[in-house]
Amino acid sequence: MAVSSSFGQNVQHFYNVDKEIQLEGTIQKIIMEPRYKDTAPFLVVILEEKNTKKIYHVEISPVWFFDHDFYQGENLAVTGSLYTSGESSLNIIAREVQSRGEILILRDKHGFPNWQGGKGQMQRKGKRKGKRY
Amino acid sequence: MKKLAAIIALALLGSSILLADSLTLSFTQNMTDNLFQNRFSENDQLSSLSFYVDKNLSQWSLYAEGSYSYLYQNPSLTYYIQDAGIDYLYPLNEKSAIYFSLAGRGALYRSDYSDFNYLSANFFAAFKSYFSPTSIFKSNYSLEYKNYKDSLFDFISHSVMLSFDKYLQTKTTLKAELDWGYKHFFHPYIIEKGMFMQEPQAFMGRERRDPSGQGPHYFQTVTETQGQGIQVLSLAGLIAQGLGNKLGLRLSGMKQWVLSGQNPFTFIEEFYAVENPSYDRFSWDGYNVETQLTLLVPWNVQLKIGYTISNKEFPGIESFDLEGNPLGIMRKDNRNQIEVRAGKNFPRFSVFLSYFFINNSSNDLYFDWNGHFLSLGIEWNLPLGGKK
Repeated sequence: MAVSSSFGQNVQHFYNVDKEIQLEGTIQKIIMEPRYKDTAPFLVVILEEKNTKKIYHVEISPVWFFDHDFYQGENLAVTGSLYTSGESSLNIIAREVQSRGEILILRDKHGFPNWQGGKGQMQRKGKRKGKRY
Repeated sequence: MKKLAAIIALALLGSSILLADSLTLSFTQNMTDNLFQNRFSENDQLSSLSFYVDKNLSQWSLYAEGSYSYLYQNPSLTYYIQDAGIDYLYPLNEKSAIYFSLAGRGALYRSDYSDFNYLSANFFAAFKSYFSPTSIFKSNYSLEYKNYKDSLFDFISHSVMLSFDKYLQTKTTLKAELDWGYKHFFHPYIIEKGMFMQEPQAFMGRERRDPSGQGPHYFQTVTETQGQGIQVLSLAGLIAQGLGNKLGLRLSGMKQWVLSGQNPFTFIEEFYAVENPSYDRFSWDGYNVETQLTLLVPWNVQLKIGYTISNKEFPGIESFDLEGNPLGIMRKDNRNQIEVRAGKNFPRFSVFLSYFFINNSSNDLYFDWNGHFLSLGIEWNLPLGGKK
């Protein structure tokens, strides 16, 4: 399995609300790579925009690699902050993702993470709330 | 002493919040007309107030969560649960990762239900890998140890799960999952056959409320010496279809077999929104089938509508008539459940409303029941760390 050249790099960037965009497209690739210094690697989906066919690297969160399954060919609607990296590739820090009738809220409107850091959420689901039917 | 414990708890909570990256507060109001989920319906409301804090340290994450639940008509069932844990996510490459967590939990119930009090430890390890861009393999292992105030319930369990899924060009997801589990009770279950009693004796059996309208009765556990372990195996399948970004449909089914062992209790009970140690995934043999529609409606309200049928037998559990006489047959339940849930996310908080209706048909008439369950909740996220 190939490991991308970006694996291991740390990109320093922050959510800029003035550069927020919305787009819809199809997932071309799913990878996990470091995005910030001293944080767990992020799930990144590479998305082809529906109308322009431009390629965007959409940064999801560190948690969702285990919590949610994304697949190549799946349609996604994304709201997030756009930035360009040194290689001029288009990147989006996702705030909200729509897929298969569900909205995944990843950050609040100011860009603060909303994913509750505890990756343990994955296995604690259903233990605390609701019933065990 | 209680005052000192409260001060220490508040100091720990305060310092946790100061150091945390995020804080989540939630409040849920639950209403039901059948709290104990049996023939003799009992109304109650349950209010839950919870907090969750976490701190990320590179690939490590520390978290703590506390939840206080108050029952208005049955305050003796009021409880507090505290969780704390550490977990670690490690990428093996850009397509695969492993995850570990170690967590502890303590549950404190009031008065009559203090036998439900427990301390538990859980180790969890998971692996996920993209075999191809459209197929995922997952596996996990879970080890759980629970120590109850009443040692009757003490156990250690192991669970292993393997799953494989495939996403097709037609936007269809197919998934197959295999689960194996083993639960070992520490109690030897060498107990003389028991009878109905008017008062519990060391609460070795389960309370059976008002079976004949003459107040609570209690069963002594009647299980004689037998294996202390229950081994289960289940096979599950799912087919899901996405129709654009706003609509999802899914059909799933699961069949579980008890390979060895049986329930050591006199009977199995589930309580609404309250963990009952006599019931868990190791209690039953049978199947369930679930359909669910997920829909994004105007104003970005997420709507879920589901219907589930299940058929469960409880090995080792005998059915009784309403007078408490054994019927000589294994308890068997058929359940139909309808669920509707609506949720809406706002910039800083989210709200949800959910409704369940359950019809449970059992050959033990005490567990032949209907119930309506309504929940309303709000969750408020407070980021305390940076934007990244």
